[in-house]
Amino acid sequence: MAERYAISKVNVPEGAAVPELVKMKMEKEEKLAEEKKQALAAKQKAREEERAKLKERTVAYEKEYADTAAELVKLRREAKLNGNFFVEPEAKLIFVVRIAGIMKMSPKPRKVLQLLRLKQLHNGVFLKVNKPILNMLKLVQPYVTYGYPSLKTVRELIYKRGFGKVSKQRIPLSSNDIISDALGKHGIHGMEDIIHEIYTVGPNFKQVSNFLWPFKLSSPKGGFVNKRHGYCEARGGDWGNREELINELLGRMN
Amino acid sequence: MATARPVVSIYNFENPSEKTGTMPMPVVLQSPLRPDLVREVHRDMAKNKRQAYAVKPKAGYDTAAESWCTGRAVARIPRAPGGGTHRAGQAAFGNQARGGGMFNPTTIWRRWHRRVNVTKKRHAVACALAASALPPLVMARGHKINQVAELPLVVSDGIQSLTKTKQAKEALKKLGCGEELQKVIDSKSIRAGQGKARNRRYVKRLGPLVIYNEDNGITRAMRNIPGVECAHVDRLNLLRLAPGGSFGRFVIFTEGAFKKLSDIYGTLKSGAPKKKGYTLPRAAMANADLARIINSTEVQSVLRPKMERYTHGIKRNALKSKELMEELNPGSTERRAVHLKSSQKGTPEYDEVQKKKKARIEESKKYNKEHKKGDETFYKTLMKAFEAKAAADAAKKAAEKAEDEEDEE
Repeated sequence: MAERYAISKVNVPEGAAVPELVKMKMEKEEKLAEEKKQALAAKQKAREEERAKLKERTVAYEKEYADTAAELVKLRREAKLNGNFFVEPEAKLIFVVRIAGIMKMSPKPRKVLQLLRLKQLHNGVFLKVNKPILNMLKLVQPYVTYGYPSLKTVRELIYKRGFGKVSKQRIPLSSNDIISDALGKHGIHGMEDIIHEIYTVGPNFKQVSNFLWPFKLSSPKGGFVNKRHGYCEARGGDWGNREELINELLGRMN
Repeated sequence: MATARPVVSIYNFENPSEKTGTMPMPVVLQSPLRPDLVREVHRDMAKNKRQAYAVKPKAGYDTAAESWCTGRAVARIPRAPGGGTHRAGQAAFGNQARGGGMFNPTTIWRRWHRRVNVTKKRHAVACALAASALPPLVMARGHKINQVAELPLVVSDGIQSLTKTKQAKEALKKLGCGEELQKVIDSKSIRAGQGKARNRRYVKRLGPLVIYNEDNGITRAMRNIPGVECAHVDRLNLLRLAPGGSFGRFVIFTEGAFKKLSDIYGTLKSGAPKKKGYTLPRAAMANADLARIINSTEVQSVLRPKMERYTHGIKRNALKSKELMEELNPGSTERRAVHLKSSQKGTPEYDEVQKKKKARIEESKKYNKEHKKGDETFYKTLMKAFEAKAAADAAKKAAEKAEDEEDEE
């Protein structure tokens, strides 16, 4: 806190008689300035330590991502070799984008969309895949499109359009301090920590995802196919689960 | 306002350059200044001298007019009856009709007067008196007091015995009111508006108000001097002390009147002896110097320090700004540099990548040689099964054909 003291400089012309109140103010400001300097030095030191730790963690995360990908490849190859089938792991993470506007929305889907924090057109949120969430998505199928985002998509969304909820305000994630202050108690101190927690759906996914303000995406460059119909319909459409192909859409919306 | 009371000099009315004595300032003249109160009380008091006006009760309705109703191709407004004159058939009664009554006729029973609480009135007078003791306020009201020796201006009692206007004028001029009196004379002009035709032809500024204790001729001496007004100290009128609701009238006290102020109003502790149950107004704040209060040690010692505001600036995109990316993702620049190096020929990173690639290709070749050559490959086994079936079908067909030929023969 001391690093945020507002110190005002009092300009006293040479040789002039200094009024009593001005003198008192100058003394006070001097003392605060001293405290501030010390606090800033301590903060700088802490920051450097944090950054070093974050760097190590990031390298570990990158290795983790590479390893999991390599592991999957190995298992697929092994299965083929043995003439078995490899069952791809089910997706853990979903990214949902609201497709429908706000007019003429039935009450139940409207409520569910509110609960999912999709209150505006082209809002997006990260969700964990579990039974309750899947049931909720079933209720709002025609109004959203969703799928399984890749690591690249997750990174790009958070870096480009990541905003955090800080004392009920939508604050851009322009510094790791913001993240550290809000999520430090869950062991998340930087952007890469957030990305890791989201992508791997860690134990603090709920807190991290809630900290992230719903993503406000642009309309997709090149357009939708047809928002009235489902993605899986033969006549071409957009709503519903489009699994891996959400990444292509998000590439155009981000 | 709770400082030691200043001392006011009393000037000799015949020779105002000499002082005949001094007197402490009465507590009234140190009342808190309340322009809002004075304005409010003045507004209401000023309404009390009004004379009623209204239109005649029957104005516009003194005809036997009746509406012609529908069917006669005229508007339905009441019309004057009869014939033989222009007036017949003309519209009447409505405010839109010529010769009709006005909308919402003014009445004499309009509430002309206002009552003001006695205490309020007294407070207002005390306030106006206090304002008259302050040169900036008196000057702001427009009085010319540059030549006046002191405010409040207290003159010895002799002035109360003046009988001749000429003498009074001289006395005032000697006291420094010459400029003020001249201002009044110069300001005489014809009133703007209908008042000029209603026996209120001329207007002029107000000059000094002379407050006396004993009238031994002073009122008659002063009354013909333009702008000068007299008032007995027992009967002070807010309408004269704060004309138009603005306090700071230029007041000249006589010695007796000035002394009597203390007798009438008393102090905050004693109350006003001559006004039953009345005590002078108290200020809302004992110490009105906000800057001093806020900056005092008593207040500052319990405040937390002022903090800088959080500013987030413009959001930049880390995917585009390498600087920001390094800030958010420490070590990203060097990792990126290493990654880029691996595509530059001649660097050890490049060699490393090429080595890995070679190893991978070798592995792949080995695997293919092992599993994808020979007769046990997936395709070959598939085709074998197919060929087996094809051979079986061909054999069956041949057998059938042979049978047919036999049958034919």
